[in-house]
Amino acid sequence: MADLLNAADDIPTPTGPVGRLLGALCKIFAFCSGITLVAMALMSLASIAGRSLFASAIVGDYELVEIASGIAVSLALPYTQWVRGHVIVDFFTAKVSRKTALTLDAIAAALLAVVAFVFTWRITLGMTELIGGWDASLMLNIPTWWGYVPMVPSFALLGLVALYTCLEDIKGINA
Amino acid sequence: MMGLSGMEMGALMFALLLVMLALRIHIGIAMLLTGSIGYTVVAGIDPLLNYFKGAAYARYSVYDLSVVPLFLLMGQFATHGGLSKSLFKAGNAMIGHWRGGMAMGAVGACAGFGAICGSSLATAATMGQVALPELKAHGYSERLSAAAIAAGGTLGILIPPSVPLVIYAIITEQNIAKMFLAAFVPGILAAVGYMVVIGIVARVSPKDAPAGTKFSFAQRLKALSETWPVILIFITVIGGIYGGIFTPTEAASIGTLATGLVAWTSGGLKGRGFLECMYGAAGATGMIFLILLGADVMNVFLALTQVHTELANWVIGLGLPPLAVLMCIIVIYLVLGCIMDSLSMILLTIPIFFPMIMGIDLWGMGTEDKAIWFGILALMVVEVGLITPPVGMNVFIISAMAKNVQMKEIFKAILPFLASDIIRITLLVFFPGIALIALRVFS
Repeated sequence: MADLLNAADDIPTPTGPVGRLLGALCKIFAFCSGITLVAMALMSLASIAGRSLFASAIVGDYELVEIASGIAVSLALPYTQWVRGHVIVDFFTAKVSRKTALTLDAIAAALLAVVAFVFTWRITLGMTELIGGWDASLMLNIPTWWGYVPMVPSFALLGLVALYTCLEDIKGINA
Repeated sequence: MMGLSGMEMGALMFALLLVMLALRIHIGIAMLLTGSIGYTVVAGIDPLLNYFKGAAYARYSVYDLSVVPLFLLMGQFATHGGLSKSLFKAGNAMIGHWRGGMAMGAVGACAGFGAICGSSLATAATMGQVALPELKAHGYSERLSAAAIAAGGTLGILIPPSVPLVIYAIITEQNIAKMFLAAFVPGILAAVGYMVVIGIVARVSPKDAPAGTKFSFAQRLKALSETWPVILIFITVIGGIYGGIFTPTEAASIGTLATGLVAWTSGGLKGRGFLECMYGAAGATGMIFLILLGADVMNVFLALTQVHTELANWVIGLGLPPLAVLMCIIVIYLVLGCIMDSLSMILLTIPIFFPMIMGIDLWGMGTEDKAIWFGILALMVVEVGLITPPVGMNVFIISAMAKNVQMKEIFKAILPFLASDIIRITLLVFFPGIALIALRVFS
């Protein structure tokens, strides 16, 4: 596994302006996630080169990787829901009617939205509590709350996309 | 609710989880909700909400886990880099003249592709695109070709780098480098096993698999030499990790950049190619890390109630023969594998099964040996699910490409490959040395 099961081509192009906006945002977030990974890889390469050629690695390369990893991962979350890539078990419902399946999918998307919004709220709170404090990374003294900053819009967008897919499923039931 | 013992509570929550999974709730969310409800019942909602503040950051900003998105991006680059074509050509040049040799070559190419790609579906899909038309043109039956490539695709995960293996290493606190090394011999064994199966099928029903033309030595050398990027990347990544030159993240970084460079020079990143790599990596990353977050919340609940250690102690206390316990675990994996994906299975079951395995005596293995061996064994068993009905994802993917043959036929043709899997798993159970030998040789 560890794969995206749906190819992006299977996703119907959204018709309304809300859908188009959400889709575009997901793609921008996903692109930034990939670019963060490439930047992280380049930084590791520079650190190895520095270490082996000039006996000096990049200071704080570990913590930079950690922060970059957090950014890349959270930015990726909304896109996965956009292409309906978050995994479900469809074994037990393979034979149910399209209507039933769509109803269940709408409920699942709604639950995902609730979880995403609760996390958005809690992460925002966690971030604001950290802002005043001294919590920072060891070498570069990067404040820990910086790492929280990209997570807030990521979880918020995940929630919005889940809400959108939920509404689309409901529309599909009635269609 | 307070009257419930830890075990009863655990059983109730597990039942709730299964119901949610059956009702098509996302696996990560189902685990997250189960953990949350259980935690709230036992300890109240305030500590849970407090934990949520930092849970995502704590899970996503982990140095060791950063190899996962990197390997996923590397796999995307590998898919776009045309490396599958040169690997298939090389496999064909070497053994294509044997009866069934071209299909064997495709399996070998899958193994080679697995060495730079940590995903089974990607391996099956890429190799299917390249090899299926060629095999058909050379008179191979579509059912055998499809089955061979669907089975060969599982090598994507068995042969390091392997995403589920990284996750296993992290949750059981094992060394990633050692896990990768231990997977190597069983991975090769899997490839050889599949080739033997093709050889036997070709003898039994020659119309399925004709012999191809023999290549000259110079042609072979040329075909082999074209696979140099794969060999170089693999040696750098795995050798670098094991030699202690790089951390796994650094090795994955180099591997990603090198594979990206190959994809770029081959023209695979032109047009939408680069964008597709970014999107593909993001989609798979999001998928895995939502499940990881859910598993974290679930594990917080488990740690609070200690259900998993209680359960493990209970099983150990039964005094069953260790082999019987192991067999039960394997059977549970095989059954679950028919309906669930391997990563979710590993995240869901390892917190429960790992302490059991560590608590029983198996062939007198030491703690670390046993942990590594069980990781490889579990990976192999869960991967079988990729080629078994009803949800054999590899077969689905290949079936979508091999239009002239029914999925039922492919599942039938895959039975001998399944037999080879079962034989290999049995061998690994009784001879753990298969996984541990590489560790001994290189230490």
